[in-house]
Amino acid sequence: MSNNDSKKPEAIDQYTANVLQNGISRRSFLTRAAVGTGAVAFTGLSGGMASAATDEACQNAAKSSDGGATLEFMPKPKPISDRLIVSTQTFDVVVVGAGASGVPAALSAAENGAKVAVLQKQAIVVSQGNTGSGIDLANSDKAGVEAMVSRLMSDSAHRCHPELVREWAYNSGEAVSWVIDRAKKGGAQIVDQGTKVQHGIRGVTEHKLNFVTSFCGPKPYTTGDGMRDLAKVAEKAGVKFFFNMPAQQLIQDESGKVIGVIAKDRDGKYHKYLAKKGVILSSGDYQNNEAMCNFFIPDLKHFERKQMDRTGDGFSMAYWAGGVIEPIGHTKMLHDFDAGPASMCDMPFLAVNRKGNRFVNETVEMSLMNNYLRDAENAGNYSQVFDSNYMDQAANWPGKLYSPEEMKIYMPEDPAPKVGVFASQTNTYSANTLEELAVKLECDPKTFVANVKRYNELCKTGKDDDFGKPSSKMLPVVKAPFYGIHRRMRISTLCSGMLVDKNHQALDADGNKIGGLFVIGNLGGGFYGGVDYPLTVFGLSLGRCYTFGYLAGRYVAKL
Amino acid sequence: MKKLTLRNIMLCLALSFFASGAMANNNTLLDQTHAAKGLKCASCHGKAEIREPVTMSKCVTCHNTQKLAAKTKNVKPTNPHENRHFGTETDCLKCHSVHQKSENYCGSCHLRFDFVVP
Repeated sequence: MSNNDSKKPEAIDQYTANVLQNGISRRSFLTRAAVGTGAVAFTGLSGGMASAATDEACQNAAKSSDGGATLEFMPKPKPISDRLIVSTQTFDVVVVGAGASGVPAALSAAENGAKVAVLQKQAIVVSQGNTGSGIDLANSDKAGVEAMVSRLMSDSAHRCHPELVREWAYNSGEAVSWVIDRAKKGGAQIVDQGTKVQHGIRGVTEHKLNFVTSFCGPKPYTTGDGMRDLAKVAEKAGVKFFFNMPAQQLIQDESGKVIGVIAKDRDGKYHKYLAKKGVILSSGDYQNNEAMCNFFIPDLKHFERKQMDRTGDGFSMAYWAGGVIEPIGHTKMLHDFDAGPASMCDMPFLAVNRKGNRFVNETVEMSLMNNYLRDAENAGNYSQVFDSNYMDQAANWPGKLYSPEEMKIYMPEDPAPKVGVFASQTNTYSANTLEELAVKLECDPKTFVANVKRYNELCKTGKDDDFGKPSSKMLPVVKAPFYGIHRRMRISTLCSGMLVDKNHQALDADGNKIGGLFVIGNLGGGFYGGVDYPLTVFGLSLGRCYTFGYLAGRYVAKL
Repeated sequence: MKKLTLRNIMLCLALSFFASGAMANNNTLLDQTHAAKGLKCASCHGKAEIREPVTMSKCVTCHNTQKLAAKTKNVKPTNPHENRHFGTETDCLKCHSVHQKSENYCGSCHLRFDFVVP
């Protein structure tokens, strides 16, 4: 890799230095291969196919920094030749991917005077979730903002890029307010819920800290609808959307500068979109690309995917153009706010796995639960179990309790109209016996009842000999009716990505900027770094997408 | 591929009277439905020697996605042809297979979306 003969300034930050050293790039791959045998380098250069190397020496050399898997799943294709191009159009900015970062980026660029095209793989704008958050700077102390930044770095196991977290912290209030304002103009159901819904920030700071918490909803209305409404405003501002038009390759000039994108329409014909100022990639994660998942997050093997068509196209294109993918061990996001009340997700009720066994100290947050449920049998499934005393006994627990009456909207067996929820994802049950509840939660009744019995005994003594949960959180399951929320941890998104600088410009393996190439949203690296996406700030993910879209669009338009 | 028996063809024709499109018999493969309407192999696969997989753009030359979505708008629990993920443009082949049994693609995530897919 390039760390031996680096021409970079000494002052490179730790995060970037680490990704340059351990991240995955074509340059690192070719260099490592060249150390092995000259033949590999030749193969790599001519075909660009890692998998083309067949002899043993080549295979050994063609390894990533982890010394294990090869990158044969990302072979660089031959450039699409000009005679296959049926149309060419020129814009200032070309955005690839119309979601929660791409649509704001396109509108922001247009508002700053750029002629913008958006290429979208699907037939519509696609996004998920409801909440997107930013810090209300005018109503926060700097010490409070910095405490929040510090907490987020800690949540990300101190592996994120502090500069990018601060980019969010100091610009997100403005950006999220802008999204709310513009989306409303498109008719969106979007409101600012302020700081009161941020249950997770308790204890972060003693100083003043307030939030702009945008909420697209209630369900079934989501940010997907919100972004579709925002896209209407973008269209009015002159942005051209091209749907069913998946980007295939970036176009680079001799210097390596990215000058456009080639996309393929439904009939298999290629179209060229030239970008005078820059290409912004915002095409999301790679959860539906099995090879990439196995390489970057092997833990994902048995979890269900929530999204479709997330094949990591942006990763491939940026990587082929010389970009650096963050080292293996990417951050993932698995949670379930639809089975039962979101505000009860982190409440430490008794939890049992798919079979009915208690498996964890339940003070572990839902965002981390997946780590105990990675095997094929559990596949992310667990149930929170409690009894009729919960309204009194759990009154002071983290979050907000729903009464039995309120909870009916999450109960598929109850005739109550399913308002404000995704009816097909609700998964909360009540039963008069434990055996009956076990069946509804799809557990083995014998195992389930035995585990509840054991848990109740521990509650009586106040000492959790099995998992060490504090006695204040040991709530016995004794009084019928009994309740269970069967939560399914499925993959919402993956949120590690390409190495970028503070302006979201992609860097190459030498740490130099790749001209004309910008990366935002969950395709952008450096913002997280932990094993899982933290739920400290509700709506951090969408808030970051909006903010970086807003900033990158403006930055590229002004180039 | 199953043989096109006269019985199957007749069955398809009969069915198409009772239930046009959306509610066809679960046991009938779509190649039979197509054949019953007079389609030949080449209608979808073309005449090239090496046959390429058929993509959605071929389906929509006959099946208008907007009209289809309107036709199934009252299907319970939800309209499969106009959904939150793809609008009216879900890739037909995610659910509908032509030479083998179709699958309920929605059901793997959405509990209780128990569609019977022709």
